[in-house]
Amino acid sequence: MSNNALLWQIRAFVYNHFADTIRPPSVEEAAQHLNIEIELAGTLYKELHNRHALFLEPETLNIRMANPFSGIPTDFKVHADGKSYYANCAWDMLGIPVALALRNDAVIEAICTESDDRVQLAVRDGQIQAQAAVPGGDIKSILTSDLKIHFPLPFARWYDDLLFT
Amino acid sequence: MLLFRSEEWIERWCKKNNLERGEVLSVDQVWELSKLWYHDRLSMEYHGRTVEQAEEIFRQAGLTSAFWHVQR
Repeated sequence: MSNNALLWQIRAFVYNHFADTIRPPSVEEAAQHLNIEIELAGTLYKELHNRHALFLEPETLNIRMANPFSGIPTDFKVHADGKSYYANCAWDMLGIPVALALRNDAVIEAICTESDDRVQLAVRDGQIQAQAAVPGGDIKSILTSDLKIHFPLPFARWYDDLLFT
Repeated sequence: MLLFRSEEWIERWCKKNNLERGEVLSVDQVWELSKLWYHDRLSMEYHGRTVEQAEEIFRQAGLTSAFWHVQR
């Protein structure tokens, strides 16, 4: 098998491992799954990083992001298929139910920046609904059109600093 | 990309952090964008995207301003 074919095979393995287990595979796990040398698996991880197909922690082979999935806890948590995932950002919290092919309904828990409001979004039958906690602990429905997501950088600059983006 | 309770909170956050305001979309808009952007992410057939393919997705989502384009 060519290295290019292996590249996309290992990418698919990383993503499906994330979906199945809520965490990214180590390079050793990927090598074992594809029956290849660990060194080659590491080279493929770096190539996927260079192509923005995933994001490695600096100077390591640890996967920090395979968008929409996050390898570390964040303010954006997605419950779906009986599992709880972390998303990288407010866009990715919506991307996880989609990436999982909307196999089941999902509940998203998120914290609004600056106001610290706790928001819950429910995905049912491909539709999305929102509610927020209000002072006193009550819950009230809110319009998803009222909740806003801020894209700080234009598309042309997204990969200048992916953590900030 | 961060979530905000309203545009007012975005203004406050940008001011506090001395950052320029970027593009603001509603959760509804980003939900529609996500369907176009992430629907095939677990597929073996997904091999990344060109800039042109990404821009086409933005166009389909109704995002046509310069913010969503790479100058060529």
